[in-house]
Amino acid sequence: MSATRLRWGGRAALAATAVALVALPWQLSLPDQSLYTQMGQYAIVAIGLSLLMGFAGQVSFGHGAFYMLGAYVAGVFAMRYHWPTLATLVLAPVATAAVAGVLGLPLLRLRGHYLAFATLAVHLIFLSLVFAWGGVTGGEIGLIGLPKLKIGSAYPAGATYAAIVWALAVAVALVSLALVSSRAGRALRAIAANERDAAAAGIDVAASKLRLFVLSAGYAGLAGGLYTYQLQYLSPDAFPVVLSVQFVVMIAIGGMGSVYGAVFGAIGITLLQHELSILGTRPGMPLQAPKVLAIGAFGLILVVVMLFFQRGLLPALVDLTRRIVPQLAAAEPVAAAPSAPGEEERAAEQRSLHGPTDSGADG
Amino acid sequence: MTAFLQYVVTGVSDGAAYALVGIGLVIVFRTTNALNFAQGVYAVVAGLTTSVLALHMPIVLAALIAIALTTSIGVVTGLITIGIRGDTTPLHSLIVTLGLTLIAESAELLIFGDAPHSYASIARRAWNVHGVRVQPQYVLLLGVTLAVTLGLTLLLRYTVVGNALVAASDSLRAARLVGIDTVTFGAVAFGVAALLGAIGGVLLTPLVPLAYDSDLNIAVNGFAAAAFGGLISVPGALVGGLVLGMAENLVVGYVNPQYELTIALVIMLVLIGWRARREGATA
Repeated sequence: MSATRLRWGGRAALAATAVALVALPWQLSLPDQSLYTQMGQYAIVAIGLSLLMGFAGQVSFGHGAFYMLGAYVAGVFAMRYHWPTLATLVLAPVATAAVAGVLGLPLLRLRGHYLAFATLAVHLIFLSLVFAWGGVTGGEIGLIGLPKLKIGSAYPAGATYAAIVWALAVAVALVSLALVSSRAGRALRAIAANERDAAAAGIDVAASKLRLFVLSAGYAGLAGGLYTYQLQYLSPDAFPVVLSVQFVVMIAIGGMGSVYGAVFGAIGITLLQHELSILGTRPGMPLQAPKVLAIGAFGLILVVVMLFFQRGLLPALVDLTRRIVPQLAAAEPVAAAPSAPGEEERAAEQRSLHGPTDSGADG
Repeated sequence: MTAFLQYVVTGVSDGAAYALVGIGLVIVFRTTNALNFAQGVYAVVAGLTTSVLALHMPIVLAALIAIALTTSIGVVTGLITIGIRGDTTPLHSLIVTLGLTLIAESAELLIFGDAPHSYASIARRAWNVHGVRVQPQYVLLLGVTLAVTLGLTLLLRYTVVGNALVAASDSLRAARLVGIDTVTFGAVAFGVAALLGAIGGVLLTPLVPLAYDSDLNIAVNGFAAAAFGGLISVPGALVGGLVLGMAENLVVGYVNPQYELTIALVIMLVLIGWRARREGATA
């Protein structure tokens, strides 16, 4: 079910959800506001990554790096070059997208998952550069005392800042939904179904994939810039490699190619991580417990979801609910994710591409 | 000139380890079409296990036990990745191996802590060849790598088993039609890959101490080596590993050691990019 085919009831529900997401911060306590802001930033990254994985069939282990790049571009230009903060927030996604373009140009023409390892390398490179260029980035200590974001004459903080982040997340979601149902989106869908057929139909497969990669990196850069002005403090500790993996876990939860799923995954994984860090720092737990728990949980989620719920955990749950409570199906217009794209031709020869449920796949 | 030769010698030794990891990736990719992200884990598990066991027993025995343990872990990762559900797509398989990597890291962190582990090389004294320090460990690492490359190349090309392995990656369905059990072969491929990774890890740990999260670097470097041969060539992965190791050491030696990791990874990206141009030209 695509966005264009949503009925008016669906659109009204969508609009109401969007308004609720943006208005929610004023109902939250201060610590929850900060967690909610983080969810919004992660949602922006996850939406882009979901499109990339779902439609280009490529996975990036470097979206944490693009997030970091956006954060440092905003921070460095605001602090060292005294750019207006709002301008740096525009520069962050643009610069990040440009870097992704240069990187993706050769890689997306290759067979296999070169992009996965290359983006992981990019994450490691960016981390070591942050340490090496201490004069600009603050190195291990980081950038302390960054200016506040200034819009007009206002300095949004707390609930207002959370609302701004979520308004941008909603905007990113709407742009992505529009993209999926546009002409370019139909091309992407054709690529997701079968690359060779798409190429035969005159679609420039490599260019389409590259544009999607650049867009998703730009989203991550924007989210990074928003992170910078949330804390006004940057340090490399905030961007470990596992952050990149965390975004992939969000997509595993929400389903590849699904915009709604990405938002759901971002919220769910941020909550899970929050709860695990509370559990891991309880008295009596070993020193490494928070890290052991987080890494282990992410690993387990990836293995279980990729083996048994290949379309994502959320779509599987939605299917299950519909089967148990049939009347819910009509009342749930926006929950449907696009059918699982991104299967490659080797799989296509063995099982039907858009099977109704993944539990029915041959074993 | 002495400095140059020293960088080359050290580079060849590092490169041999990358090559072993890269060859493991190639074997699994050729057999199952899956990129095995956990390839770096095998080296780390073997290295860490050896370092702990060596406190209680002779080092050779410790290394053999560690290698055997890692190989069986490799077979298990293979069965999980491609065995449980049968036909997972390459994208799904890659993410499954990433998940297994995280689970392994979590277990390693719990068991071994986050400090790097190491142990003594096979010989404390290094040879001095016209001013160039050559550690016996280098020679051992390179010798093992060369033997493995030769053996596997011959195996894949001239034996029934080798041809069946390659056939399985060309078309799973066709391979099954002619009676090849693709799951068994996949598990064997993962086992061989783990064996290679474990040998590389055991030989590398005295030279480069390993920690629970070293697997990422090893996997990325191994991937670069494998990418040199288009992910399908065993000799290509050997050459790629050696070129990468030497280039890294030369650039680090002559330019700036502060940028060691960055330079290593940029060289890797350039190698892949170069490969991309070649593949793009022929495709």
